[in-house]
Amino acid sequence: MGETVLYAENINKSFGITRAVKNVSLSFEKGEIRGLIGENGSGKSTFVSMLCGILPIDAGRFVLDQEELKIRNQVEANRRGVSIIVQEIGTLSGLTVAENIFLGNESRFVKFGIKNTTAMNREASKLLKKYGFNHINASTMIDHYNFEDRKLIEIVKATYFDPKIVVIDETTTALSQFGREELYKHIKRIKEEGNTVIFISHDLSEVIEYTDTISVLRDGDFIDTVKSSEVNEDDLKRLMVGRELGSHYYRTDYGQPMSDEVVLSVENVSVPDELDDISFELHKGEILGFGGLSECGMHELGKAIFAASYDRSGKVSLADGTEIKSIKNAIRHNIAYASKDRDNESLVCNDTIRDNICLPSVDDLAERKILLARKMNKFAKKYADKISVKMTGIDQYVSDLSGGNKQKVVLARWLGKDSDIIVLDSPTRGIDVKVKADIYALMSDLKSRGKSIIMISEEIQELLGMSDRIIIMKNGKISGELMRDPKLCEEDLIAKMV
Amino acid sequence: MNLSDRLQKLKTNKAFGRYYGIALLIIMAFVFWAIFKILTPDNFGSMDKMYFYLQSSIIYSVGACGFYFIVVMGLFDFSIGANIVLSSIVGVILSRQFGYAGLLIGCIACGTIIGLLNGTLYVKLKIPSMIVTVGLMLIYESVASFVAQGKEQSLDKALQAFGHAPGNIILALIAFFVASLILKYTKIGTYCYAIGSNEYVAKNMGINVNKYKLIGFVLLHLLVGVMAILVVSYGTSMRAITGMGSMEFNFTPLMGCFFGLAFRKYNSPIIAIVIGEFIIALIFNGFIAIGAPTTIQNVITGAALLIVVALTIKPAKGAVIK
Amino acid sequence: MSEQTIEEKNNKVKGFLNKQVFRTLMPLFGLVTIIVIFALLTDMRIVQGNSISLILSQVYVLVIACTGVFMVMTVGGLDLSQGSILGITSIVISALSFYSILLAVIAGIVSGACIGAINGVFHVRFKIPSFIVTICTMYLFRGLCAYITTNSPVAAVTSITSLNDTWFKVLLTLAVLVVVALLFRFTKLGISLRAIGAGETAARFSGIRTDRTKFLVFIAAGALTGFAAFLNVIKVGSITATAGNQLEIQILIALVLGGLPISGGSKVRFSNIIIGTLIFCVLNNGLVMLGLDSAVQQLVKGLIFVIVVTLTIDRKSGQVIK
Repeated sequence: MGETVLYAENINKSFGITRAVKNVSLSFEKGEIRGLIGENGSGKSTFVSMLCGILPIDAGRFVLDQEELKIRNQVEANRRGVSIIVQEIGTLSGLTVAENIFLGNESRFVKFGIKNTTAMNREASKLLKKYGFNHINASTMIDHYNFEDRKLIEIVKATYFDPKIVVIDETTTALSQFGREELYKHIKRIKEEGNTVIFISHDLSEVIEYTDTISVLRDGDFIDTVKSSEVNEDDLKRLMVGRELGSHYYRTDYGQPMSDEVVLSVENVSVPDELDDISFELHKGEILGFGGLSECGMHELGKAIFAASYDRSGKVSLADGTEIKSIKNAIRHNIAYASKDRDNESLVCNDTIRDNICLPSVDDLAERKILLARKMNKFAKKYADKISVKMTGIDQYVSDLSGGNKQKVVLARWLGKDSDIIVLDSPTRGIDVKVKADIYALMSDLKSRGKSIIMISEEIQELLGMSDRIIIMKNGKISGELMRDPKLCEEDLIAKMV
Repeated sequence: MNLSDRLQKLKTNKAFGRYYGIALLIIMAFVFWAIFKILTPDNFGSMDKMYFYLQSSIIYSVGACGFYFIVVMGLFDFSIGANIVLSSIVGVILSRQFGYAGLLIGCIACGTIIGLLNGTLYVKLKIPSMIVTVGLMLIYESVASFVAQGKEQSLDKALQAFGHAPGNIILALIAFFVASLILKYTKIGTYCYAIGSNEYVAKNMGINVNKYKLIGFVLLHLLVGVMAILVVSYGTSMRAITGMGSMEFNFTPLMGCFFGLAFRKYNSPIIAIVIGEFIIALIFNGFIAIGAPTTIQNVITGAALLIVVALTIKPAKGAVIK
Repeated sequence: MSEQTIEEKNNKVKGFLNKQVFRTLMPLFGLVTIIVIFALLTDMRIVQGNSISLILSQVYVLVIACTGVFMVMTVGGLDLSQGSILGITSIVISALSFYSILLAVIAGIVSGACIGAINGVFHVRFKIPSFIVTICTMYLFRGLCAYITTNSPVAAVTSITSLNDTWFKVLLTLAVLVVVALLFRFTKLGISLRAIGAGETAARFSGIRTDRTKFLVFIAAGALTGFAAFLNVIKVGSITATAGNQLEIQILIALVLGGLPISGGSKVRFSNIIIGTLIFCVLNNGLVMLGLDSAVQQLVKGLIFVIVVTLTIDRKSGQVIK
């Protein structure tokens, strides 16, 4: 180690008036595993997107191996030895595994315009064997493989040509334990071969464990690079946020008695391949947390309660016995749902803030079926202001808002509906710290007003900090239940998750 | 592994999958043949009639193959019919001076130019393909009217070799071969599927999406130019149609194209298109044989297409269909 | 730093507002421009009384049918079957007009609604894209229409043409427009349709019954065209095989000229219908008045269509256009 392979010089990028990356200068050494962390909006994704040719640079430059990196797309980046494994799906359906691996680089198999498919498949098979992915067949359509296998294929695609720099952008969150192990194995291999890995993740403990050094970005600025062996999670959080994170972030009360009144009862709910015979009760004024690994089924449970699942069996009913069987019914009976997939399920992005806030409440706002614009405007403004949405007006399109403000619009709509049971799935995912605190305060306020909350979250600290009761799920079943206690810690939860 | 898993595994095996798909289609063709044969044994089903149906269906198959390239990318083109009218008129006019060379080059060149125009306008103006081609259809129909000067253009008797066997079959086979080759053995095929699958990712992979969409349009209209040769040779004349009448020519190729799409996962789209068009021809002629009026043809077309698509489409749960 | 951001934000807002206003006013501006151009070219003949009533006489059927398709397009779908629906429902009305005019009208609306229901079922239940479904039903019912009128046109009771009074037609048309406009503006219909068009999954999660709404929208489109058929019958008196031919394309062109975003969603305005229809009819008649050859007329229409769409289409950066 010690030899610089890549340095970034005064990189700048703006989107309209937002300056996403401000004069960031960084250097990377050969054989280094560098973690890159920062809150959402810190600029880390934008930074690596520019490095990998996905976005153009506004100002500044990257220099790789003493030569400036001038690239226009990912394939050119690959040719210079820079590649990225993205967070979402990076492979294309309708093509075979081999075609996906060599997409954009088929030229070496093409003679006089004719593509030598057999040779391509043979090469791909050799690679797959080399990586140990023996269960994947090069000539099969990629559609036959699940998300995780497709990610493994992406690993092959991004690293088979021995790139000097490999960026791994938040890939681990979507992988199972097996997938993560495979990824860590390859990260080590890349390091041993003398190449560099830039590892982006929100999971701070993972970053500390698997990297040599960690760079922190905040609000588009470069803050510092530290040695992984010399820091702990709190240090990192402090660097990311810029201030001491006190525990007044979450709730500070303990030992409050929970009401006996049951407001929602879930009985034997199953969804094929996702949930297996789930039963529990929600009490009035309770914050019931659900935790588990990504694929444990808790996200699907949120949908099931809201009657948004297909093929749900079992019963979800209110205190008075009313069964909830459709989304419209759920809303009418004052159940609210904020999905993890905010942009597709919780919000109509291509519509105004006003429409979004009013939608669940249209039936209530209409007087004898007549809906007046004036009434809707007043309603929307009231709740948008109540929750302090940073906007130019209720006519602004939701797509223009930041992540945190989008979530505020989601909450505003349910505040407006005055729902009694609120299901929040990953309520603070991808949201900056200030808005997070606002949301936690809102949750406490709702609780004190007698509303009941189901909070599904992958952030263990959040569960520990906010829930009255935590139910852990594993493989579609409930695997444990823990009560709020100051002595409760992460290990107790994790023990039930794995 | 139980039986259904085994069957599933077999289906994904490329070679077996292809034969399975073709076998399915042949069985379908046979079933329809049998139905009409039973209903009217005298009017329908003889070998020379079959031969005749095959010849009329391959005309549409050529157009359908061209359509496939752009439909796979998620695009559409309403101006195919207008192309046929314009290209065949141009071909006939040129054939008077240059014989077969005039006919062939005229139709194909005209088709290619239309393809270039459609593709370029689509890419530059950034208008959805469906919309821009409606406008272009109007324009091409009027151009055809100018070129034909209102007169019906008849193809000279001596130049009608492509209107019957073996001329038409040879030309069609060449077209199928070229389309298959491009689809399976060149980057064009891979990239068309890639763009259809996820255009954003394809672009990031360095695929020049606009270039390949343009190529798609050119291929489509080139093949439609070939189809124009076959149409005018068979019908021996072409008159300029205005008022969007050319739309009639759009739909039979479209149906063949849907067959190709439905059987895409079995890896033999071109063959599926050819057999599919033949099945459609069988059905049409079958209905005529049992005494149904010709107007019923459209009813059959519409209903058949609807049923075929309903049976073969399998969108994911919760997917948004517009 | 924050002051600069606020100022930049203000400019951004002004820019946005201007764009919204621009979108609404542009079609109106287009209408005025086209009237002025033709007024100049035809020496003011086009704004004479009989010219205006001629233009208006073409507006009624088109604008009512547009209202239905407007709703379909707001939710992001396409309906290409309206021409055939007009044909069939006109036949129904003509046939039943001998018993009772009122009964005939009701039957027309109901039969239109039934065809709309077929469209709805195949789209919503079988998850086939609306444009495929409606092309199939268009073809199907076009064939049916041709079949029914094979021997002779279907004539309505002769007394029906006595209803062909301008004020009567204006009254009926306005009634439909006003009712639908009110429903769209003052009930949850408007906000629901726009939400489905802008984000169907999220609309579903907001409690809108998206499947049911889409199904009803197709029925409504059919029913409205069924009502428009009444106005058609009282004008023409008897129905031939080509009744309603190309109406769907006329509707599409009219709505696009009126500034309707092709994919629907929250930027649609009811005024798109009225302004678009007027532009279309003025254009049509203006070209006829200029004594232009029908092919030239079509050429001009095609060109204007492409130009207008290019100028008015809603392009978001990074959006994939198919």
